[in-house]
Amino acid sequence: MDILGDLLKTLDQMVNDQFESIEFKRFLGVPLTLERGRFYVVQNALYTSNRRDCWGYVQGGAPLQVKRIIWEHESDELINDPRAGMDHYALSVKQGEVIGLRPEDFEKAEVPSMVRACFYAWHHVAMHNHWLSAYTASHMLERRNNGKIVKGGGMSYRVGKKFENELGINLKRMISLDVHVVADTDHSENISEMFERYVKTAEDCELVLKGARESMAIDRAYRGALGYYMEQIN
Amino acid sequence: MKTTPNGIETLWTELIRMCNEQFASKPFRRLLSTRFTKARAQQYSIQMAFYVQNRRDCWGYVQGSAPLEIKKLIWQHEEDELIGRKSEGKQDHITLAVKEGEIFGLTAEAFEQNPRLEGGEVCFSAWIRVAQRSWLEAIAASAILEMRNSGELIQGGSLSRRIGDMLERDLGIPMKKQINTAEHVVMDVEHAHLLMQVARKYASSETARKAILRGAAESLMIDRVYRGHLADMLEALPDA
Repeated sequence: MDILGDLLKTLDQMVNDQFESIEFKRFLGVPLTLERGRFYVVQNALYTSNRRDCWGYVQGGAPLQVKRIIWEHESDELINDPRAGMDHYALSVKQGEVIGLRPEDFEKAEVPSMVRACFYAWHHVAMHNHWLSAYTASHMLERRNNGKIVKGGGMSYRVGKKFENELGINLKRMISLDVHVVADTDHSENISEMFERYVKTAEDCELVLKGARESMAIDRAYRGALGYYMEQIN
Repeated sequence: MKTTPNGIETLWTELIRMCNEQFASKPFRRLLSTRFTKARAQQYSIQMAFYVQNRRDCWGYVQGSAPLEIKKLIWQHEEDELIGRKSEGKQDHITLAVKEGEIFGLTAEAFEQNPRLEGGEVCFSAWIRVAQRSWLEAIAASAILEMRNSGELIQGGSLSRRIGDMLERDLGIPMKKQINTAEHVVMDVEHAHLLMQVARKYASSETARKAILRGAAESLMIDRVYRGHLADMLEALPDA
């Protein structure tokens, strides 16, 4: 039995299944307006910040070799992504200019209650689980954004296409979404390599699957919440 | 340092006082009055590598909870520790610890095969617990250990400097050959300023300053317990 091969197939199926969930369908089905687009872009920057929290926690709990991989991963995210010439939070803010957002709009943004609950849930998974579960929980969000794995394109690609089709803004101008289409493919592949080194037993697999299941459940709730809030914006 | 109206200077002075006071504590005095033998130096070196690994755990958690601009500072801090300054040809601090072990007759396997000291393990868990608290407490708890290791702030020399001097005195190993200790003697002077950078921006309220003091005090308490366990371990080994 190919433990690792079977596990990776299951993870791939799980990220594809996300897009069949009612929450994802609802979120991706909300017609974009400029105001809804602005809301999404600001919220996505907050999501990026939450990712930085969680990867820090995962780094704290992981073995030394994995810490090093995460540190390198965070170089793109936190310091400078050579694909963009800036860190990913700055990239989100820069992207906002295309739809009329200013840096202050990001600074004063509030985290809506349902989104806040999801962020805390991700914190919890990252901080209070076995490192393999915590690591997988964060990894799955990049795997779910990997167009080589997700049929029909990852989340960034699909949202970028919505901006293009519904607001007439070319994906290339949505620089954060565009960079993530590529960056998360690279990141999810680099991070996935760690499974080959550390997943050896059925118990290891179960730890990985636990993290994956929990993170995907939170991700569905998060996307459902974003869809709900976007619908409230006329 | 200029006096500021929000008590930053008072906070900084108090933190430095607390760090200096560590060296007057019983566990520190016991540890620093030990005479090193080769066997003692070996065990000390191995346990310090575990200590460095625990620092990496804690700084990761602190990075997780800190604001974005502080995350960046910690990420840079961790480059020295976890990766090494490749551009300057410097190795990460765990590799350095293992390499330093060679001068005590240790192989890389010795670091993998020797267990963590039981008392050390308990202290490591305690430090992780503090690292998972509110971010100001957490960062103070980790940063204070580098302040305690800064020759610029500690009268009579930092902990790394004092241990290095003892190894030189007892085993005739010059400081420059103690590559990990020598690195920390230098780097922790630089790293010790991280907490002040944080305090200048975020310790504007009494509540924030109290959180920093609480985290620092708790970490120094764990540090005393840890050093006491190290002293026990060394004393249990033959003195000649």
